[in-house]
Amino acid sequence: VLTEAWSAEKDFKVVGSLSSATQRNVEPVGPHFLAHARRKRHQRTFSEDDRI
Amino acid sequence: MSDATNGVAPETAERFAIGISFGNSNSSISHTSPEGKAEVIANEEGDRHIPSVLSYVDAEEYHGTQAKAQLVRNASNTVGYFRDFLGKDFKSIDPTPCHASAHPQLHDSTVAFKIRDTASEELSTVTVSEITTRHLRRLRKSASDFLGKDVNAAVVTVPTNFTDAQRAALTEAAKAAGLDILQFIHEPVAAVLAYDARPESVVKDKLVVVADLGGTRSDVAVVASRGGMYTILATVHDYELGGAQLDQVLIDHFAKEFIKKHKTDPRENARSLAKLKLESELTKKALSLGSNATLSVESLANGVDFSSTVNRTRYELLSGKVFSSFTKLIEESVKKAELDILDIDEVILCGGTSHTPKIARLVQSLFPETTKVLAPSTSPSAINPSDLAARGAAIQASLIEEFEKDDIEQSTHPMVTVTPHLQKAIGVQLISATDEAHAVFKPLLNAETALPARRTAQYAVPKAGGDVLVRVCEGLREIKVTKPEPKEKPAEEANDDEDDSDFDSEEDEEEEIREIVWKTSKPIAEFAIKGVKADGKVEVMVAVSEHLAVQITAREVGGKGGVRGMVEAPKAAENGSA
Repeated sequence: VLTEAWSAEKDFKVVGSLSSATQRNVEPVGPHFLAHARRKRHQRTFSEDDRI
Repeated sequence: MSDATNGVAPETAERFAIGISFGNSNSSISHTSPEGKAEVIANEEGDRHIPSVLSYVDAEEYHGTQAKAQLVRNASNTVGYFRDFLGKDFKSIDPTPCHASAHPQLHDSTVAFKIRDTASEELSTVTVSEITTRHLRRLRKSASDFLGKDVNAAVVTVPTNFTDAQRAALTEAAKAAGLDILQFIHEPVAAVLAYDARPESVVKDKLVVVADLGGTRSDVAVVASRGGMYTILATVHDYELGGAQLDQVLIDHFAKEFIKKHKTDPRENARSLAKLKLESELTKKALSLGSNATLSVESLANGVDFSSTVNRTRYELLSGKVFSSFTKLIEESVKKAELDILDIDEVILCGGTSHTPKIARLVQSLFPETTKVLAPSTSPSAINPSDLAARGAAIQASLIEEFEKDDIEQSTHPMVTVTPHLQKAIGVQLISATDEAHAVFKPLLNAETALPARRTAQYAVPKAGGDVLVRVCEGLREIKVTKPEPKEKPAEEANDDEDDSDFDSEEDEEEEIREIVWKTSKPIAEFAIKGVKADGKVEVMVAVSEHLAVQITAREVGGKGGVRGMVEAPKAAENGSA
């Protein structure tokens, strides 16, 4: 169902980027926040955190 | 601190924490059972919702319900409604709620009460922070007695607009009562947590309106819940709206009835008014449960006993105006968050006044049917609205009880809590070449999601299978308004009866249909997955970093390989957005 003309390297094509983010305050409450804080303080990514 | 103790934690004693909801009218204490369930603790009088009132008779201290009863005979030595005075300038407080009890007074730039709390005839000046300490000491004792352990720490709920000075004053007052406040959490967030921590609830993205309808004030907050993390988008407060206004409706109603019979107004005498007020509150509570309630006061005025009944319909009629103020406040909060009522997935009603069935029904009619209104009369699974804040605090307390104090402070520091949030939703379009125009946008990461974040979802491919083009893009939510089709008016038969037909056509006018539609605003990336089986599914994972770089992986469910790619962060994002 692909258009004939469409092609890209490794079948992946970047066409744009995200709009800027808004800075907001997350509520420091709940298990998911604590996990977020832990990742942020130890500068881990999701997958690194999953492994621990 | 850690230097002096050579690395040993300064608190050598074991920490035992509870959750406290400290309100102007009522306070609650709660803990988490060994099975992990948050429970509100009853004090020795059996009250779970303990009036925040202290009263002194012959140097003896009364607390809670007993103290509240003293408002009739011993009003000048009874202190209530003091939470909002803590850490405040005398000039900035509103003393109205204390009209019928000990009056707040200026004392060394803070607020104090002149009461007789000792055996001597002399009045003593007790500051609001000392009153708070005494109140918290009683709460702590009730919790310690119930749990059989010395409670020495707590997570306390506060309104969202509680200032740093108020927090500091409360921390001090609690310390004097032997309670180490581990963390302040916001009341609306505590309510959301109380619901989300139930084992049956599933973490999902939703927009929640938390309406905290209290005794002397009401607060509404709009909370974005994204992946279990909460962000407050807007708050509104009304310091004159609350259960006290509903009490007043009943006070006036019964007073009028009394005047008709006995020609005296019980509201003109302080003691009669105090009696009527206490009883009217009880009648109001009874009307939340049953459709009829009685009120009886011994010797209301001039030594005359008074007893009467009122039914719920009558009460709801009399309170119509107050009820609509509550719904207006809720509408205002949604507007302030720049949202539409269609965006709201859940409404949590908390605070004592939320027990009123009519309020829940009015709120339900304000929102679309798909919006869940969590209140006892609209949802069988609702938690007692009076318990929510305390329960949320207990859950948070159990989560951080084991942490070092430094750990808690660092985790709640703005360095951690101030986080970029997605401005627009990110979603996925599956496109088949034949009808690109009909490609549907399905949001995957919602707007206001805190970053970093990742989401995975599966999408059904177009029936035929084959090669599929997937486009990740930003989307905008729009409200589509469909005007009702102009009804063909039946050829004006009723011409001679103009008034009637005019009236009819306005009444019958169908409401316009409003719905949410998604518009793609900006494509981010496109990729192809080739050779998908008919009726197959594609799994797409999108991860967005804190700097707005996007990582995408996709594969056919059950298939091998797949596509992965990376979209760089926009260049201006580093410093442009704050």
